[in-house]
Amino acid sequence: MKKGQLFELYRTGIAIGIALLLGYLIVFFTSFPEGALSLGEKIAQAFSATNEAFKYFLLGPVIKWRGDAALFNDRGFIQWINETVPIMITGLAVAIVFSAKIFNIGAEGQLFIGAVGATFAAVHFPAIPVLHPILVIAVAMLCGAGWAVIPGVIKSRLKASELVTSLMMNYVAFFFGLFLIKTFIRDQTAGSLVSEKFQDTALLPLLNERYKWHIGILIAIGLTIFVWFLMKRTTWGYRVRLVGDNIHFAHFSGIKTPSVVFQAQVVSGAIAGMAGIIELMGYHGRFLWLVSPGYGWDGIIIATLARNNPLYVPIAALFLSYIRVGAKTMGRYTDIAPEIVAILQAAIILLVTAEAFLAKWKQRAIEKEATRGEMTLEGGEKA
Amino acid sequence: MNDTLRGILSWEFIASGIRVTTPILLAAMGALVAEMAGTPNIALEGIMLFSAFIGVLISGFTQSLFPAILAGIATGLVLAGILAYFALKLKTNIILAAIALNIFASGGTIFFLSALTGDKGSSASVNSLVIPDVTIPLIDKIPVLGDILSGHHVITYVAIAAVFLVQFMLYKTPLGLRIRAVGENPEAAESVGISVNRTRLIALLISGLLASLGGLFLSMGYVSWFARDMTAGRGWIALAAQALGGTSAYGVAGGSLLFGFTEAASYSLQFFNIPYELTQSLPFIITVGVMALYAWRRLKVYKKIDVL
Repeated sequence: MKKGQLFELYRTGIAIGIALLLGYLIVFFTSFPEGALSLGEKIAQAFSATNEAFKYFLLGPVIKWRGDAALFNDRGFIQWINETVPIMITGLAVAIVFSAKIFNIGAEGQLFIGAVGATFAAVHFPAIPVLHPILVIAVAMLCGAGWAVIPGVIKSRLKASELVTSLMMNYVAFFFGLFLIKTFIRDQTAGSLVSEKFQDTALLPLLNERYKWHIGILIAIGLTIFVWFLMKRTTWGYRVRLVGDNIHFAHFSGIKTPSVVFQAQVVSGAIAGMAGIIELMGYHGRFLWLVSPGYGWDGIIIATLARNNPLYVPIAALFLSYIRVGAKTMGRYTDIAPEIVAILQAAIILLVTAEAFLAKWKQRAIEKEATRGEMTLEGGEKA
Repeated sequence: MNDTLRGILSWEFIASGIRVTTPILLAAMGALVAEMAGTPNIALEGIMLFSAFIGVLISGFTQSLFPAILAGIATGLVLAGILAYFALKLKTNIILAAIALNIFASGGTIFFLSALTGDKGSSASVNSLVIPDVTIPLIDKIPVLGDILSGHHVITYVAIAAVFLVQFMLYKTPLGLRIRAVGENPEAAESVGISVNRTRLIALLISGLLASLGGLFLSMGYVSWFARDMTAGRGWIALAAQALGGTSAYGVAGGSLLFGFTEAASYSLQFFNIPYELTQSLPFIITVGVMALYAWRRLKVYKKIDVL
């Protein structure tokens, strides 16, 4: 591993460490007991309460305690893996556009409209096993890609900022999608606004019936390999990354930058389009979102943590959903609100993206590497 | 259809439109100042939310308005300051830093609300205050005009004043000139001795201040409590209103009015079988269209095609 990469790894680790420490301090102060105890006792109580809470937070997703015995928490584990799936997919989608330095934050709307469009396919398409779920996912991808065409065209042909247009498209997707569900495919017998149930053939196979562990994780892993290959091993991916690194250089190397910018957004939209429907097909079996699920925003966090490298996306996604499931477990056993995890996430993003954070250290590492490189070069010449 | 028109044109409707527009207008002014300095502030949503929360909290604890308003404004300044510190000093991408702040505000307010009151949904158990409405003497006696001009919330008048102040500040003061110069071409501004970072810091602080007033209006005027995620996208809508309105405060005010009044209308139109989802999405569609139009016109002006 190169020194630069190693440095990024250290920096991510330090950012996570600082965030966890911050979380520990916040929990410590909020669980500070009131009353007529002496200060020493209060501190001791707060410490033990915080340690107890952090035990659930850090280990809860994989370990459950029955008396003194610590057992493997299969339910928590499955919840962890299932929650990883949608954010891993949006993480990949965002990594593609961010690689080209396009700040398209439309993944949220793309996954929403993809899920809405595919809901129609899941309810109405002919019930052919195997083929049906593939078609449903294809419809979701088409809807997501189609949704990305609009900001894509505005960015690449008209050169307007994609940030605001993609954000606007999120709102349009949300309102328009809810309208479609409500008007055409609402389950009239259900008390709340949900779609009709998907046909059985449209559901994803389960790896574990009891806790509904669906094969979404396998799809997400397959997708990761595909995106890695696309971005790192094809000329298309190289062009996208080159546009991101230096668009002027890309232009003068003869790359048609507007069409690269457009294609990157559409491919990203197609991938983001799948993120929602896979969870619905695997877990819920119908469309039930009344608020946008937020996976598009999570995708931004994940792509940032993974430095837009598709291979690191699964790690970042697993990490993010792990601390979320951990926080929920903590919320069940203590009275600490699981939303504390948002504070940790914010701290991690800020520190990871702060280029000047620990930059002196990086500078020194690079200098060292460079001098060593020179020395070996000189040594080689002499020999 | 006559009923529809009457419903839309009633004074109650106009009053509700003004109420809905107020927080959007303030945040959109914030968006404008930040955008002009070349540092788009997309943390408006989070700043509004956190200020709304702190305002309710402090007014509940102190039972007095002045410290609550002060604390709410201070919250906005601190969050904008954090954004500026990370973006300008630590070279964090300003969009990612702002997204982090929004996540922090959304989850953090719920966490602290639950830790302090035991309730995760709203601050119903906190006996918080509201900032009062203002009745303008004499004018409120004039028919029609009195209804339109008088009886609004203090912050609504502040918002209206903010439009003129921001316009004046941007186009008639040295600070405004510096902000625009830094936004237009930071290298050129630097070369004539303008401190880019300091100017951007000031612009971000102003935008944080304006957004915090919008947040205070939500929890201490529009309603009298704090509820989780109560900003409900108004900070993002403000960005759209700014994009729609362009570079003049009056244009941005027009954009804010469009969003405010469509939202108000979407509730009345529901009774006439016009689905509110469609009316609500209309301003967003208009914004995308207008942005495309702006961009197309700009392209025609600068015939010279550059790299991207």
